[in-house]
Amino acid sequence: MSWTEILRFPFMQHALVAILFAGIAFPMIGVFILSLNLIPLRFAMMHVALLGGAIGLFLKVDPLLLGLLFCILSSMALGPISEKMKLGVGILSGYFMTLTLALAFILIYKADIHVLEAFNILWGNILSLTILDLIIVGLISLMILVMVFLFFKEIQAILYDREIAMAVGLPEKSFYYLIIFMLGLTIAVSMRMIGALLIDAFILLPAMAATLISRSLKQTFFFSSLFGLLSGMAGLILSFFLDIPTSSTIILVASLIIAGCFLFRRRLSSYAKAR
Amino acid sequence: MHHSVELTDVHVRLGPVDVLSGINIEARPCEFVSVVGANGAGKTTLLKVVNGTLRPSEGRVSVLGHDLSQNNRLNFLRRDIGVVPQRSNSVRFPIRVEEAVLMGRYGKIGLMRRPRKEDWDKAFEIMEAVGIRQFCKKLVHELSGGEQQKVALARALAQEPLILLLDEPTTYLDSSAQSEIMETIHTLHHQRELTTLLVSHDAHLVEQYSDKIYLLKEGKSCLVK
Repeated sequence: MSWTEILRFPFMQHALVAILFAGIAFPMIGVFILSLNLIPLRFAMMHVALLGGAIGLFLKVDPLLLGLLFCILSSMALGPISEKMKLGVGILSGYFMTLTLALAFILIYKADIHVLEAFNILWGNILSLTILDLIIVGLISLMILVMVFLFFKEIQAILYDREIAMAVGLPEKSFYYLIIFMLGLTIAVSMRMIGALLIDAFILLPAMAATLISRSLKQTFFFSSLFGLLSGMAGLILSFFLDIPTSSTIILVASLIIAGCFLFRRRLSSYAKAR
Repeated sequence: MHHSVELTDVHVRLGPVDVLSGINIEARPCEFVSVVGANGAGKTTLLKVVNGTLRPSEGRVSVLGHDLSQNNRLNFLRRDIGVVPQRSNSVRFPIRVEEAVLMGRYGKIGLMRRPRKEDWDKAFEIMEAVGIRQFCKKLVHELSGGEQQKVALARALAQEPLILLLDEPTTYLDSSAQSEIMETIHTLHHQRELTTLLVSHDAHLVEQYSDKIYLLKEGKSCLVK
């Protein structure tokens, strides 16, 4: 079957549209995660989404919507709780991460959720996205892009140094909570697209590659989006021609991009500087 | 506007520890006030109280005529307080010197607004005054410790503050760089008619520049000059 024939299928069109939206916007969340050292929080959100998805399967409610709801609620709570209790975000995230994972697996076991459905929570399936999924991905991607465009200088200050952002009179806490909130939303939606275990690669790897070669925050956002789009599109196309799972192929392409950036860091950095 | 800083019987407790227990410090308009003390004496805590990051458990803090315990609009107040933190940012964040200095004006520019030509002009003027204009296109993390301190100073001054707070500005610097940065701070303090509050562990270094010196010891302050 040729590529043009494959493109006629709605599931393929949906996948392409989702990758177009998410490939550009989601790696920007990866930039936030890396700059603010929110990796533990990312794990916590992932597991909260997993618990929400498991509860959704148990209650026969759309697991994506319930995972989204759980992430929204926990992402709204985590930032203020960590500030109020004067606990580091990492410690609190570790608590949430282990607790929610344990609860999710207990539920999967006790509720006798089918193994394949359980794996779908963990792995996701970019080829089974509905119109509603696309609308959600599109909305969240738009929110990320609008946030970065409108508040670029505020975001730059907070990613550089939160204390300095506060010192110059910016509402640093509000933006920090907003970033955590967007992180939660993005994780939940990504879980549906490529699964809880592979979220890192779609969000983090493009951002990691970008940080290796960028000399400004604008370049970091630009390259992270470019690499996100490239890994998504290339992964999708290659998976069909090589007959291998799509999500894993996306991960492999993203990994190759980051390896390439690492190897050619000096050469690519000079080119980026000349731009 | 009251161009001053006043701490009256301020106590700060962090967890089980009384870090500050009865601080009385005053910096009048255009005064250069230094607070010296050993490591762990509470110098950084003191500055955090002045810029509203920490609330005292007791006592009164008045900055620019505003009682900080009554003030819920700290973000607006902070726009008139320039802060030079102790540690340089060692994280490899991709930001040029000119952007890092311009950052000092972000609070005054306002949310969602782009920096204007006047803001960039001000940033370049400050870079010239501090002596880092030639590095403006370099990334901050590529500079030496002393140069990074100058960037931090320039950023604080780009805010056009009324009050300048400096936390151990000569840490990480060799002796010649220490003297250079102190001279720069002192000159700009006079040129811009700032009220300056500097904390340091080196009393000898700050003595010649200060109108007043307080000693911070065992959580208490004592005027020594």
